[in-house]
Formats: sequence, structure tokens, C-alpha cells
Amino acid sequence: MLSLSSLMGTAALMTHSDDAHAAAEWGEHFQKNYRLMTEQEKIEARDRLQRRYSAEYGKPVSVDITGAQPGVLMGYALNIRKCIGCRRCVHACVAENNQSRGTRPGEKIEWIQVLRMERGKFEKEKMEHGYPEGLGIQVGGNAYTPAGQVLEGQFRYTPEAVPEKDATYMPIACMQCEKPPCVKVCPVRTTYREGDGPVVIDYNWCIGCRMCMGACPYWARRINVTTPVLPKEAMNPVTHYLGNRPRMRGVVEKCHWCLQRTRQGRYPACVEVCPVGARKFGNLLDPESEVSKVLERKNVFRLKAELNTFPKFFYFYD
Amino acid sequence: MKKIAIYTVALALVGGALYAAVAMEKPQEEAAVQAAAETKEPVVCFESRKGASEITQKDIKPGLPNVKCSPTTNAALWYGDPFEGTVPMGKMPGLENLPEGHAVVKPRSDKLAILPMCGTACHNGVGPSANPPTLPKDKRPTAIPTMESLVPDLKDLQHGRGRIWCLDCHHTTKRDKLVDHFGDPISFDQPQLLCGKCHGDKLRDWRDGIHGKRIGEFASDGKKRWFTCTECHNPHNVQDGERNRGFIQLQPEPPPQLPRGMADAKHELVHPVEH
Amino acid sequence: MQKLFRFATDYVGYILKGGVRFYAWMGTLALFIVGMLYVFYLQNTEGLIVTGMTSQIHEGLYFSNLVFLVGVAAGAVTIVFPAYVYHHEGMHKVSVLGEMLAITAVIMVMMFVFAHMGRPDRLWHMIPPWGIYSLSSMLGWDVLVLTGYLILNFVCGFYYLWCKYTGNPINKKWFIPLVFIAIVWALSIHTVTAFLIATMPARPMWAHTVMPIRFIATAFAAGPSLIIIIFLIIRKTTRFWIDDSAIKLLTTIVTWCLGIALFLTLSEVVIELYARTEHANGLYYLMFGLHGLTGLVPWFWSAVVLMIGAFILFLTPSVRNNMTLLPIACAMAFAGIWIEKGMGLIVPGFIPTPIGEVTEYYPTFVEWLMTLGIWAFGFFVLTILLKGAIGILLGDIKFGAQAATAK
Repeated sequence: MLSLSSLMGTAALMTHSDDAHAAAEWGEHFQKNYRLMTEQEKIEARDRLQRRYSAEYGKPVSVDITGAQPGVLMGYALNIRKCIGCRRCVHACVAENNQSRGTRPGEKIEWIQVLRMERGKFEKEKMEHGYPEGLGIQVGGNAYTPAGQVLEGQFRYTPEAVPEKDATYMPIACMQCEKPPCVKVCPVRTTYREGDGPVVIDYNWCIGCRMCMGACPYWARRINVTTPVLPKEAMNPVTHYLGNRPRMRGVVEKCHWCLQRTRQGRYPACVEVCPVGARKFGNLLDPESEVSKVLERKNVFRLKAELNTFPKFFYFYD
Repeated sequence: MKKIAIYTVALALVGGALYAAVAMEKPQEEAAVQAAAETKEPVVCFESRKGASEITQKDIKPGLPNVKCSPTTNAALWYGDPFEGTVPMGKMPGLENLPEGHAVVKPRSDKLAILPMCGTACHNGVGPSANPPTLPKDKRPTAIPTMESLVPDLKDLQHGRGRIWCLDCHHTTKRDKLVDHFGDPISFDQPQLLCGKCHGDKLRDWRDGIHGKRIGEFASDGKKRWFTCTECHNPHNVQDGERNRGFIQLQPEPPPQLPRGMADAKHELVHPVEH
Repeated sequence: MQKLFRFATDYVGYILKGGVRFYAWMGTLALFIVGMLYVFYLQNTEGLIVTGMTSQIHEGLYFSNLVFLVGVAAGAVTIVFPAYVYHHEGMHKVSVLGEMLAITAVIMVMMFVFAHMGRPDRLWHMIPPWGIYSLSSMLGWDVLVLTGYLILNFVCGFYYLWCKYTGNPINKKWFIPLVFIAIVWALSIHTVTAFLIATMPARPMWAHTVMPIRFIATAFAAGPSLIIIIFLIIRKTTRFWIDDSAIKLLTTIVTWCLGIALFLTLSEVVIELYARTEHANGLYYLMFGLHGLTGLVPWFWSAVVLMIGAFILFLTPSVRNNMTLLPIACAMAFAGIWIEKGMGLIVPGFIPTPIGEVTEYYPTFVEWLMTLGIWAFGFFVLTILLKGAIGILLGDIKFGAQAATAK
């Protein structure tokens, strides 16, 4: 099996469908899992990647390897009363994080999904439409009215203007769980929880088995079904090894709370772009941070809390 | 017998080659390169409120734009430098503990083109000798065409449901300033000192970062650009805001791509279970 | 050492002797195998975009076949178990054929794993010391038990054949314990595969405790069905005669297990549809369609018809004992279970996604060709292994004797 997969690795090295790719060096193909690398190996890996990306995208690309800062546990809060469903966070994330953005199905990856839920109407006319009839209506006609139902919504809504009067919106992305189901099922430990909170993926180690995608209850993870389509001008050259550096065919990717920004102390892209200020981000260990204040003062909930994933992404309303 | 095997293998190879020619999807052209041939006009996009939060796209450094704009909705999608064009916030009660220079705002004064005039022409208590201004005798001002054409939102001001009039917020004589209850002027760059008088719970949440928006460093003592009240809210037109959760409607960004196997998304509108 | 070499050369020589039918069969399979190699190349250059898999439905034909074939591999235990635990004479004579099937099925499973992974060139990441092996991952355990099962069957099967070839007596001291380990291991491979999907609470269609027993029941219905058909073919095409008692015992096993499988399916349908919560959306999609999308509905109902029809046929003695009608019932059971446990279990598990998005999955030509190619490869290997095993069992291949012709 080992020889077979090495042969395949060689074959993969030889055959590239996209000529503009700079060839990945042998060192990159046989490097270790990032977490097990020594400091020196990390620097070598970083340098290899910087060389490759700079050649590929025709501009100087930096790959940051800053580790977790002590005393920081990143947390996120989203005000669902405020969200207007404008999807700017989705596109800001794409502008920041170098996702594939081609036109063939599967080539356009977005890490954030915005769910549109109808408010639903309870109507007098529907009262006669329940069933069964004899000996009373056991299921009321207003059953299945979407009011308050999560997961009965739309993702591809296209109104002229948002927010619509009869709809509410809820963006969903990786919840960065404290007990991530995706980490548990990874057979090669390529996805793991970093010390300061986010769940990350070492893209060079991922074997593309997609067990993590099956295990995630929030559908947070995406697979690159082909070599990512990333035009040179659109590429964000400020990257992090575990963050937004350009991925490759066959590996899984997801939101990582913009490690290239947050490890340098800056807000993630989605937080910065939300026009209504629905998104909050900060250090959960700092009682003065906005997220801690939200937890202190507002009513918060998490999605699918019964699955005991303990997300660090909270929803609140005020 | 071996011959049959050899012929079969040859046939298989030919078949494979045929398949390659027929069935292999031709990869589409690489995503069209964004028009490098820029128009003469610079791209302008808005952050939250059209008319109050415009940014002109330009390069801070070669290859690093200050903002990336959405091609479909003209929205600001990404900040190259969050502190570009900002000035220090100034003294703000409740934010005394912030390190010096860590709270910055985008000045609004620059955006109000006629603001310098407001302080001098007509409204400084002196005015041109030909037409000395008088202060309104009652608090229901007569409509002045000049003013209404300057700020069309002013027709039928509903802020406070008709219980607030212009000079409750605007300084009587220094019309390039707002006013507080003591009659002291408040800069247009610090509307929170004014708005927070009545909207105290929002002010408290805003000071803690829960309401409104801050960009920059996420640490609680980090440098942040704070968005002031009027960058998102229009005090002259609150009807739309009230109907739509305090925020005027925007055009949304495009929906996600349809996955392979789906021709359209019409099924999302159909209820999952018929009853 | 020299004996081993002679074994290999005699074995290969025997395989290569065949008539027109043999070479036509192998040639057709080789065609599909070449096609499979080509689409595998496509997948590793273009990526999985040539398949119908998406981020929403990211397991399709490949994983379905993988799961089904683990069952077939486990089903081989239905020969070995009666042979060694109950000393069933008829089964004992053919137990090595079951082990050959198990080897083939596991090889096919591994090929489907290669086919469905995003980066098969990185599989070495799983093998310590160069890689990391994660003990918390069910997929890791699955790889371990499958490799172990392959090795066990290979050792047991070929040691038995080796002893028959050389005429040496079987060393029962370690052979019998190894066989017993293999029997238990067979159950474990399929249970671990069931755990693979049943330990994901994000997928409510799979996350219930009936999944492992359902897997075992369907495996023990599909595996023996295939074995019966193979045995009947062996009877027709070789001089090797398989006892009626062996086939009858397999038929009994299929009848029982098919019955249990149908009962479990019925239970699942009743339990999920009684309360009709959102957790039942996957099953509802399979049975009636969701949001107006009904792609898998005809598949499900045909699987039901096939399985119930097969069950009734198996219950009828006149069919069960009739060696011409029996393969039809077996084929119906096999096809029904393939649909219901393959596409009918895997694809609806992803519909809707955990956050409620409903999409459909259409396998592409690449996927069909790869699937057919891997099945063809499996049958190719199976033919070789069975032919060699039968040759040895018949005494056509014997150490020292001159090579005999075979059909």
C-alpha cells in the first residue's frame, strides 16, 4: 500500500492539468504533519510554500506560522436579531481566504451559508385543513407552518432587498467546537483543535477521506473537488499555514476564524464587513472583550447543543 | 486463445482513447480576469448606509487596495487597512480606560460638504445684513425649500414620533455642530454623545462593542475603528428603520453556486412534506 | 523455498490454461479494468469534479459499493463458520473457496477506498511511523480490521491450499485458532464499518443502534447469495462438485438473514415515520422524495420488491431446492440488498445536509465506469483465485505431478 501510494504521489507530481501551477517540491510532498514538526521544519515548510505560491501567483506571498498566543481563547457571537441576510460576510470571507471561485459546479466554495427562515403565518383558513377528520382533527392545519423552524429554510434566496418582512436570517459556518466531532473521526489527525480555540486543517496532510465532512453537524466543511480556481489578482497574499493559504485538489477546507488575521490580533473578515454589526469576536478569557460581555449580558444559545459539541460560536439576540 | 486476449486489450485501449475524446469534460476557461483596464472613474462603495458611508477604492500600497467592493451591489467587502482615513475619537465618557489613540473614527465632518457653510451663512446669529435670520418663534418650523432640497429626508420628521424637532439635536447658532442639553456643541464626528442621551441602552451596548461595529484589533484594549451612530443610522428618516429592524433595506449579495446535479433551487420553495 | 516457487509456477500455469469461454470472460473483464484505470487517472488529475459528488453529498457510488462489499467479505464467514465450528462436512470441503471470496471482496473494498478518497497519493499519512494512526477514528479502525482480515484470509486460505498442494498435513495447532480468529474478525469488519457511519450524530438517518445488526443481517444475506450463484457456476464449469448440503445450508442462512434484514427495515420505517420528525427526512427522501425531489424513490421501491420477492421465493421449498430457480432468487436478494444498503443507505444519509439543504446526487459516467471496473477487477481476481483453489482441491495442481489441463 505504501509503495502504491508513493507511486501515485509520483504520478500526481508528474501530471498537472493546470500549467500555471508551480511544481510542488518533493519536500512538500513528504513533509510531516504540521503539529509534529519542529520549529525548524515549520520554517522550512513555510519557505517552500512561500516560494511555490509566489511563483504561482506572480506576487510576493507570505505564509505566517504564528502559533497560538497564550491567554487567548477565541470566541464568536452573532446577533440573529440584527442579521439582514445580505450575505456580505460570505463574500468577504471569500475575498480574504482564497477559496476556489470557478464556474463549474463545485468550483465555487463559500464557507458561510446563510439560512433564510420564513416567519410563517398562522391562518384561520388553514384550521379546517388538518387530519384526520372523524373524532376530531388530530393534526392541526397550521402544523408545518414554518414559523420558528430552523432547517426548513432556503439558502439560495434572491430577493431585491433584504431584510424581507416575512423572513429571518441565520448565517452558519464552522462553530469551532470545543469538542469537535470532526477531529475525532479524522484518521490521520490532520484536523485538530489549536490551543487558542479554532479547529484547523493541515492541508498538506489531509487525505481527502471526508469523514470529517460527514461528522460535522453544522455542514461547515467543504471539499475541493478540483484544483482550486483562484485568479492571480484576486489572491490574498497575506496567508497563514493553517489558514487561508491556497489549498489543493482533494483536500477539505473550512472557516478557521481568519487565522492570518486573528493570530496578528485583527478581527476576522466577516466581522469587519457586516454592515449591521451583527458579528462579534474576541477573547473569551478576557472579561472586557465584547464576546465575554455578550455572554454576560445577553441571552445566548448554540446550535444543536444536544450533540455536546460545545461550540464557541454563540448566537444571541437583544 | 491468447490472440483473443491480445485483441481484447487492444480494443480496450482504443475504447479508452475514444472515451477520452468524447466524455472528458473540457475544463472551462480560467475565471475571467477582472478587468485590469480600469475605467477612469474610481470605484466607490458603501459600508452600511448609502450616502453616509462611502469609500473610494484606491491602493494603499501596490497590490493592496484599501477596500474591495462587490461588483454586484456596490458593497464594501474587505478592508485592506481598517484605520485608513480615521481620526482619534476624542473624549468619550465610559471609554476613559482605553489607551491613547486606540479608538479612532472616520470623520463625518469631511463628508458633509456644505457643513462649513452651515456655521457661517445664515445661521450664526448674525447673518447677511440683507436678511438677518430670526430664530423660529415656535418649534414647528415652516418648511423652507432650501433646507428641504438639501436634506430631502426632513419632510415630516418622525424621529421620536413627531416629538423631536430640528433644534433638539442641532445647535441653534453653530449649525455645523450638534448640541447637548447644556447648550454645548457636539461635533458631527461624535454623534454618540448626542444620540446616547435618549438611546442609553444602545449607548451602553455600543461602548462595550455589542451594538454597532468596530473593526481593527479584537483585543479589548486593541486599536479599533469605531463606527459612529450616523454611519449606519439616518436620524432624519427612521420610518424605514423601524419597519425593518432599525436598518434600511439593502440589496443582497448573490446566492451560493448550485451544486452538481441541481438545475435550479426551486425545490427550496416547496414544503418538504405535503400534508 | 523451491517448493514455494514451484507452487507459484504451477498455480500460474494452471490459471493460464483455459478455453475460449474463459478467455472471453477474462478479456471482457480486462476491458472494464482498463476503463477503470483510465478514470482513476482522470480522478487524480482533474479531481473528484469528474464524479457527481459534491460538498453536500460527498459519498456516492464508491462508498456505497465499499460498504456493500465489506458485507460480502464478512458473508464469507457463513461458509467458514459451519465448516469449522459445526464440522459441517459439505462446507468444510469448500471453506477455502469462501476465503478466496473474502480476499477478493476485501481487495475490492480497498480499491473503492482508493477511488473515493480525495488524495489517495497521501494514504501513507495513515501508516506509522511515517504517518499518524488515529485510534479515535472509526475509519482508522476500519482500515486496520480490513487489512487484518485480508491477511488472515490470505494466510488461512493459502496455507490450506499449500498443504493440499504439497500433501503436508495441516498444522491444526495454529491453523484452527487462526480460523476462529478469522470468523470473529469477519463480524468485526462489518461492525466497524457500521460504526463508521452510525457514530455520527450529525447524520440522524444512520445514528441509531440498529445499524450494525442491519449490516450483519444484510451481509449474511447478500454474501451467501453470491456464493450460491458462484457455487452453481463452479458446478457447471468445472469438475469440482459442491455438496448439496453446503448449498442448502447457505440457502437456509440467506432465508433467515433476509428475513431479519426485512424485519429491521420494517422496524426502521415504522419508527421513523410514526413521529415523522426532521430526523426522518433522509428516509422520507428515499421512500417518497423531499421538496419534490424524487431521484431515489424508484430505486428504493424496486429494492423492496426484490427483497420481499426473494424472501418469499426462498421460503418456498420448490424454489429453494430447485437449482435452476434458486440462482434467480439469489440474484434478486443480492440486487435488492445492493440497492438498499448501497445507494439507498449512503446517499439519503446526506439528504438533507445537517443544516437542511436538500440536493440530489447523480453519478457520472466516470463513477459508473470505475464501479464496473472495480467489480470487473474483483471478478477477475476471484476467477483466478477460485480456479487455482479448485485446481488444487481437485488435485490438478499437485507438487511433483505434471500439470493437468483444466476447464
